[in-house]
Amino acid sequence: MTVEIRVIEKQRQFGFGILDVLERRELLAMLAQRQIASRYRQMLLGVVWAALEPLGQLVMLALVFGFLLKVDTAGYPYPLFAFAGLTGWWLFSRNLMAVAGSLQDNMGLISKVYFPRLILPLAASMKELFDITVMVGLLLVVAMVYGYFPGLKVVLIVPLLLFAALLSLGLGLWLASLMVRFRDIRPMLGLILQAGMYATPILYSPALVPERFQFAYQLNPMYWVVELSRWALLDKSVIITAPFYWSIGVSALILAGGLLVFSATEKKVVDVQ
Amino acid sequence: MSSNSEFSVRVEGLGKRYLVPHHHESSARMGKVAAHMRAFFPFMGHDERDFFWALRDLSFEVKPGEILGILGRNGSGKSTLLKILSGVTQPTTGRAHLRGRVGSLLEVGTGFHPDLTGRENVFMSGVLLGLKRQEIAAKFHEIVDFSGVEAFIDMPVKRYSSGMYVRLAYSVASMLRSDILILDEVMAVGDAAFLDKSQNNIQKIANDGRTVLFVSHNPRAISAICKTGMILDSGSCIFQGGAREALIRYMRKVRNFETEDATENAALHDLTHAPRLSEGRTKPILKWVSTHRADGSLARNFKTGESLIVRIGYENLTVPDPYFAVLIHNEFAERVTTLHSTHQGGKLECRSSGVVECRIDDLRLGEGSYRLMIDSGNFGGSRAVMVSLDCVPSAAPIRVDLDGYVGGIGIDGSQGAVHKSSWKGQA
Repeated sequence: MTVEIRVIEKQRQFGFGILDVLERRELLAMLAQRQIASRYRQMLLGVVWAALEPLGQLVMLALVFGFLLKVDTAGYPYPLFAFAGLTGWWLFSRNLMAVAGSLQDNMGLISKVYFPRLILPLAASMKELFDITVMVGLLLVVAMVYGYFPGLKVVLIVPLLLFAALLSLGLGLWLASLMVRFRDIRPMLGLILQAGMYATPILYSPALVPERFQFAYQLNPMYWVVELSRWALLDKSVIITAPFYWSIGVSALILAGGLLVFSATEKKVVDVQ
Repeated sequence: MSSNSEFSVRVEGLGKRYLVPHHHESSARMGKVAAHMRAFFPFMGHDERDFFWALRDLSFEVKPGEILGILGRNGSGKSTLLKILSGVTQPTTGRAHLRGRVGSLLEVGTGFHPDLTGRENVFMSGVLLGLKRQEIAAKFHEIVDFSGVEAFIDMPVKRYSSGMYVRLAYSVASMLRSDILILDEVMAVGDAAFLDKSQNNIQKIANDGRTVLFVSHNPRAISAICKTGMILDSGSCIFQGGAREALIRYMRKVRNFETEDATENAALHDLTHAPRLSEGRTKPILKWVSTHRADGSLARNFKTGESLIVRIGYENLTVPDPYFAVLIHNEFAERVTTLHSTHQGGKLECRSSGVVECRIDDLRLGEGSYRLMIDSGNFGGSRAVMVSLDCVPSAAPIRVDLDGYVGGIGIDGSQGAVHKSSWKGQA
């Protein structure tokens, strides 16, 4: 029997690190489970909070934008219109925050035991995906309350949300190591995400944006997640334009780059914490 | 397999430096940023003052089945070394080769979450340490038995007493069975009974022929478990060899023992300026101390079974019932015996200044170096009213050789008193 010899030295090459994670998938599953369990343990309403929290926000947004400001939604009831857009955005922004903070939040583990670090952001993403599942269920209920019975294409929400999750994972991986070094990134990211929410047609209809800005406006990958979610759920028409393909390409690059950057920097975070 | 490849751990020129920006720049904050920049972009120039080397050019080899105790003061690089070997952090220079599966325990309770139950945490922590779920499930009862917290296993660990918490955490870790085991001071947990249990467990692991790298400040644990030892000082290895020798050197260093050979020094020690335990309480009483053989000649080397005479010169002794004491410490700074002037009964006759002599006719110390602590004060008739007035903790060193007092493997200073014994087989 040959015994494997492990060589420890300064890292010279970088990879995506996916294979190492597969080897420790049990750990990934347990960390994700731990995050979910520890969050809802000892809360009277438990998992219901995953739905209650966004529902509360939705009511407030609907009151301000739908009832007071009467934003034009091309005939769709405002709460449903906003909710369909918010689902994808919430997944995106929360996942981005969770992934970017995953190294800093788990410094205690990182400094004491070795495992493929990529597991931490992945476990964070899995928790966010769990939360969003509860919310999608709620979204379907709200849709039916308003008399919209979505057809089979509602299933397409799943790949759309997965796309949002991967995109935010990619962006978060760029930031995760930096966040350990510079704590300033967390509040800054919160601010940027707020701006991003208004730069995406979530609370208003994209038709409000002047024609000459549309190309740049549609380069935002989240534009497509939001609009296609509405199409899948409410049958709202969408025109696929060139920026659609651009944004997909950019997203793929962001994810691949994120994995590489993460693999190149994660080894050093323990020294700079 | 060629003989030179028979290693379990091989470390070559390992170095680790940390960025510690210095403060010669105009503003501390900008200096820090500049130092980070220099570390990232080599073209900005390199300033050696920005770095702190926690380990420097360290090389050593550990054979399969060897149990290496790593000694060193705080900040000598022990933890950095273990962190590098377990993969938590990267070395800056050099490399390490590790043959086989590596398990490391740098902390008790890695991955424990206060809100989860004992059961959940056992699985979480085990998987983190690299065990498979199935392995943990198979050993679950063993783990819980070992920890002794069966009754509370389905309770969140935040409700555990701190002792229960560490016992459970340690029990998970003790199931770790890898070819190379890296342990950092993890056995200093639990009460005395659990300590024994965990020490036995490490010994068992060691006897399985696994390679163990062990960092501890507990000299007993090191001498009981390790076969070889290594001393780190400011990131470099200053000694590698037998565990006992490493320990002795280390203890000397820590306790500021004199390192010179005992024979080269006079056996008469002036105590007027020696460090004292009772600094400034009264005028110093102890003036000097000397050690002699039976014939009265000054000596620092003695043989087991011979006489030892300690003479103490004193002054300023004004108390009604004075006492003197000679306390003998071994290389681990553990007290091996106490010679007290009240032991002989009756009152010690002495004036306000003079000399007092303490004599043992059969020295029962094992082989090794010892240090005499001299104490004097007032004895009020019981232990409760004994007042120490002047005490010099490190007054005089002596060396004892067994010189055939007992045969066979002999006995050293950490093994207790020496007694001649006779043995007879019975049918």
